[in-house]
Amino acid sequence: MHETRPAKITSPIVTLGGAQVKTIPIALIVGAVGIGLALVLSGFSMTRFLHIYLVNYAFVLTMCIGCLFFVTISHLTRAGWNVTVRRIAELYAMCLLPLAILFLPILIPVLLGYDDLYVWNAAGWSTHNAELYNGLTVEQLPPLEQLKYQFLNPYFFAGRWVVYFLIWGTMGWYFLSRSLKQDQLGDKNLTAKMQAFSAPAMIVFAASLVFSSFDLLMSLEPLWFSTMFPVYFFAGSILSALALITLTALWLQRSGRVTDEITIEHYHDMGKLMHGFIVFWGYIAFSQFMLIWYANIPEETFWYEYRINQDGWRSLSLLLLVGHLFVPFLAMMGRTVRRNKAFLGGATIYLLVMHWIDMYWIIMPQCYAKDGHTFTLGGGGIFIDLACTVGMIGFFIAIFCLVTRDKPLIALQDPRLGEALNHEVH
Amino acid sequence: MAENNNDTATMNETNTEESELVGLLAQFDDPDSLVAACNEAREAGYTKMDAYSPFPVHGIDPAIGIKRSWLPFIVLGIALGAVVVGLGMQFYTNGGSIGGVSTDQNPIFPGYQFKISGKPYFSLPANIPVTFEVIVLSSAFATFFGMWILNKLPRFSNPLHRVSRFKRATNDKFFLMLEKADEKFSEAESRTQLDGWGAVAIEEVRQDLTDTKLPSWMPMAALLGGLVLLIPPVAIFSVMGTTNRAPRLHVVPDMDWQHKFKTQVVQHDLPDGNRVFVDNRAMRQPVEGSVRWGDNELQSDSEMFQGIKKEFQSSALVKLRKSYQTSLTGQDEDAAAPAEEENLDQWITTFPAGFEVTKETLERGRERFEIYCSACHGYAGNGDGLVNQRAMALNALGKASWTTAKSLHDPVVKDETKNPIGRIYDTITNGRANMGPYKDQIPVDDRWAIVAYVKALQETGIVPVDATAAAVEETPAVEVETIVEDEAPATEAVGEDAATETEDADTEENSGN
Repeated sequence: MHETRPAKITSPIVTLGGAQVKTIPIALIVGAVGIGLALVLSGFSMTRFLHIYLVNYAFVLTMCIGCLFFVTISHLTRAGWNVTVRRIAELYAMCLLPLAILFLPILIPVLLGYDDLYVWNAAGWSTHNAELYNGLTVEQLPPLEQLKYQFLNPYFFAGRWVVYFLIWGTMGWYFLSRSLKQDQLGDKNLTAKMQAFSAPAMIVFAASLVFSSFDLLMSLEPLWFSTMFPVYFFAGSILSALALITLTALWLQRSGRVTDEITIEHYHDMGKLMHGFIVFWGYIAFSQFMLIWYANIPEETFWYEYRINQDGWRSLSLLLLVGHLFVPFLAMMGRTVRRNKAFLGGATIYLLVMHWIDMYWIIMPQCYAKDGHTFTLGGGGIFIDLACTVGMIGFFIAIFCLVTRDKPLIALQDPRLGEALNHEVH
Repeated sequence: MAENNNDTATMNETNTEESELVGLLAQFDDPDSLVAACNEAREAGYTKMDAYSPFPVHGIDPAIGIKRSWLPFIVLGIALGAVVVGLGMQFYTNGGSIGGVSTDQNPIFPGYQFKISGKPYFSLPANIPVTFEVIVLSSAFATFFGMWILNKLPRFSNPLHRVSRFKRATNDKFFLMLEKADEKFSEAESRTQLDGWGAVAIEEVRQDLTDTKLPSWMPMAALLGGLVLLIPPVAIFSVMGTTNRAPRLHVVPDMDWQHKFKTQVVQHDLPDGNRVFVDNRAMRQPVEGSVRWGDNELQSDSEMFQGIKKEFQSSALVKLRKSYQTSLTGQDEDAAAPAEEENLDQWITTFPAGFEVTKETLERGRERFEIYCSACHGYAGNGDGLVNQRAMALNALGKASWTTAKSLHDPVVKDETKNPIGRIYDTITNGRANMGPYKDQIPVDDRWAIVAYVKALQETGIVPVDATAAAVEETPAVEVETIVEDEAPATEAVGEDAATETEDADTEENSGN
């Protein structure tokens, strides 16, 4: 006989249970030391430091943006199966607001007029680019600077980021607060409200994602443009978000929290989604590459040209192709492996590492092109990278714990909890 | 329902003699009892059974002991094969090469090398999308038809459909069928077991054993139907095979006249604001001095490509450049300038090193000559081609002003000093007097083949039929025949053609008179 589980939470521990009290100071110290060490190791070269800082910031930010998307799309599609893991995503989405503080090291230099990170912040960048990539003379260049200055100037840039964080913060706060209220009251209308909110929110979210990807990463090379870039940014975000949610769920269950509710069926579906978005990432990455490769227009190709013709970056490009697409695509194809928690744990960490490399591959070539240094795989500077990464992850864990505190790690009274608990994959 | 049940019962009774039992079908009213019964049946040792339900029931697969399908592995295998097929197909058709040997050298089904925006003939990124589509299509087919094969489909009939109760399997009832082929099956015992597992109703499933022959009218009807279906293609092909003076029917006009820019064409009818460039072209013109892809040799070997001796190469370059500019702008800048006196020494008098006179090239020359030259010059080179005849007839009526096509047997044309080989080649390439240039229609090798054939024709010395009486006296017709008989087989065929041509021309002339 097929038994139906009652829609009831049975796990003994559904919160962090006080672990956050100890974790927060440690994580903050690790964060401060890591970032500080990166600054020292880079010899106080702001160009080097800010680029690797941006790599890690983009890494964390994209994961949270992906989680916000996961929550929004769940409500938009009235998804029932993922109620048990949705709270984790809601908490990460809420982290977007505090992440605005970590954006200040990027924003303040821009406002002060420094061009260590964003070259468009100094006059004459277009001629610099022309010498570097196209061999065109200034006279041959279109008046790019004046044109792009309308969009890429420090004040409009800062204003846009205020809007992005407002949008993300509002959405994250709205979904989390309604969901927490439902935990207490069990009001089904709250679900209907979130659903109604999710549709317009998704449109605004899409716009914010598109423009933030332009601002954060694409404007690093202001001469370059690709309309596919936001989709590429999104593909990486959602894939890393799925990996992060799965990894968090695995860790929570391993440490004895929410043991009963998240079942192998949920992991299986998360695995399927990850598999799908691995292909999506590859599809988008290739679409962006192939159109530029085919059209062969200098102002587009130089971006790839630098990443393919320099030995070090070529290795990294190939590593992404194989490691971000082929390997996980084949490895995560089977049903058996997707239902294996140990495998899934390894796969999520692997995918997050690949996402980090993806961010590195987008951002760091700009730094090396600027400095005129040659990049070698695993060569000098790897300790700066590692220190900064550890520091940023430390800060991220601290933020997550601060956001979560004693909040339940699972939606306690969601009307679709029963559906999720009885979810079965075929 | 009751009526239906009665019908079934009656049908089953009437057919008892000609039907045989294939199994027992038990009906259940909810999915849980179906799963429970399936579990019981499996535990009782039944292996040949199947469950039917209006929707996929959770847990039914393990309950009836269905192993996981190996369809995914079929699909994976096909998909991996599709990678090889997709890439291989494009490699072959694009004329890719292995070890320097390109597939466009294949005698049958050669690949076709096509240069697109300066990319290699075979380059991986360009071929990924097609490969991807091939993978998707073959995987979809593998899934769909693999599922058919694994389910032993298509079947034209199933004994289950003879049980009218079974219709509700697509609506609100759940069924379990125990097959007679199962070792554990015995009619009475299985019936009791099904009863015990909570079956609401149990029916015998019988297979019809009546005659399965087609009714005699069916093959005839099929034949007639087939013949009727042939009418549309026959009608279409018969129309395609006949000439028609009515204007062409344009079924899809926007495919015949596409709204698109054509490269290098000045579009005069562009609406404002729809311009790509100020001069109404959609593409920039080639940079001055550009040479067409694959034509780099043009500049190096003037003997082969222009019929001009090496020592006169510099003048050849000037000429080449001029003709190229003319082809671009459509007007000869020097047309107004006084014609220079032609330097006859510049022409080569023997065939260039790149061309060899063999039986094959002569044969090729004959073929090309008959395609491109004979319309005016006639098959025998007498200058009496059909176009020429018609034009002369119109001339006579005052309706045209046509300069007669030169006879290739004209003493001036035949004269080695006045008309060396290189000059004949140049005539074909750039035209002369009223003859137009053929360089765009005829490739270089073929032009030389035609030159060789023209020389062979001249050697035969066939007399122009419309030449003056004096010319006839000079070269008696008898001589022609003698020479023709002495020639090699390839030329002999020409001789015959020429003879026929002469006769035809005679007849025409007589009737004209």
